[in-house]
Amino acid sequence: MNSSFEVDYAQIYTTIHTGIPILGDFKLTETLIVSWIVMAIITGLCIFLTRDLKIENISKRQAFAEMLVETGNNFVRNNTGGNKFDKLIPFVSALFATSVVSNLISLIGLRSPTADLSTEAAWAVVVFIMITATKIKTNGFGGYLKGFTTPIAVMTPFNILSELATPVSMACRHFGNILSGVVIDGLIYWALGLASAAIFGLIPGAVGNFLSNIPILGIGIPAVTGVYFDWFSGCMQAFIFCMLTVMYIANAAEE
Amino acid sequence: MDIQALMLLTAEAKDTQELVTLVPWTFIIQIINLFIQVFLIKKFLFKPINEILEKRSKLADKTIREAREAQNEADSLKEQYESSLTNAHAEAAQIVSDAQKAAQVKADTLVREAQEEAAGIKARAAADIEQEKKKAVNEAKDEIGSLAMDIAGKVVEKEINEADHKKLIDDFISKVGA
Repeated sequence: MNSSFEVDYAQIYTTIHTGIPILGDFKLTETLIVSWIVMAIITGLCIFLTRDLKIENISKRQAFAEMLVETGNNFVRNNTGGNKFDKLIPFVSALFATSVVSNLISLIGLRSPTADLSTEAAWAVVVFIMITATKIKTNGFGGYLKGFTTPIAVMTPFNILSELATPVSMACRHFGNILSGVVIDGLIYWALGLASAAIFGLIPGAVGNFLSNIPILGIGIPAVTGVYFDWFSGCMQAFIFCMLTVMYIANAAEE
Repeated sequence: MDIQALMLLTAEAKDTQELVTLVPWTFIIQIINLFIQVFLIKKFLFKPINEILEKRSKLADKTIREAREAQNEADSLKEQYESSLTNAHAEAAQIVSDAQKAAQVKADTLVREAQEEAAGIKARAAADIEQEKKKAVNEAKDEIGSLAMDIAGKVVEKEINEADHKKLIDDFISKVGA
């Protein structure tokens, strides 16, 4: 039994030396592998749900698929107030699905790709580019730049800072929550392992030695704490990220 | 912790990445992954489901439209039936009144004919009576004539030519009767 605590770091399986400056060597990490698994799961689910579609007398599977699509449509339409951002629906849905499945995949023992800042940074940068593009499209490039000097020119540095804070805060919020979930789950398993070793170590003889090596308390209790740290926080963060995405883009489209 | 242990730790940590770090390649690949996922979710979920939803709403529209058309048709048919029913009623009333009129006319005709016939019969009867009366009068005249002749014959005891006397008597009677 390991008595020191270690956080679950992302594994690097292979390193391909590219020699490209700045980007550095390509590292095939656990994050990427699990991301691809997540994508496969989502795509497989989509294909499974949309199999054998009918107009009348639909199956429960199709009803569920339609519900998902309607939920995505309503989510974007309600938060932007109209059909103006319908092109955004698949993007937001993909973001949400990827985020949720990535967050919850830790439940089956894989390391969440969202417990890697690179993932959230990638998403946040994409969202930031979309926000900026929408702003430029709405007000023109001059208007966009002019927007930084409001309400007075002195505020420009703060405005730039707050603009940049958007993707940083989005990425870090999501990442921090998931990573904390990973760390706390690790801590709980570790503590329960120690506790069960201590309790069952009280049993004298070979039975006590044998039982103290099995983290018996680790069965069941993490499932209860996992309701918050994995399920709730995983779904909540995905929802918040998508909500912010939609809100920021909708706000950017306002004159 | 001595240097050796630290070096051992770093050697062990070589095949894991730092806890909070930004790996450029992972970053780029995650952006690409996100767009691939958008494409896949669009292709495999949104496109087929939206198509089905659209088809269904079209079907619903079509059904509603057809129902409305059918109702309009039914309404016009109803109107038509109602008007034809009204016509039929009027026609029936017409027929009945015609029949009544015809019957009245016929009855009137019958009554008139009967009256005429009765009047005819009455007139004929009256004529017959008159004729009978005349006949009776004539017979009575003849009788009276012959009686008078008989009486006269007996009175005068002399056979006179009946024919001459008859003329004489007829003249007398006609003078008397007139």
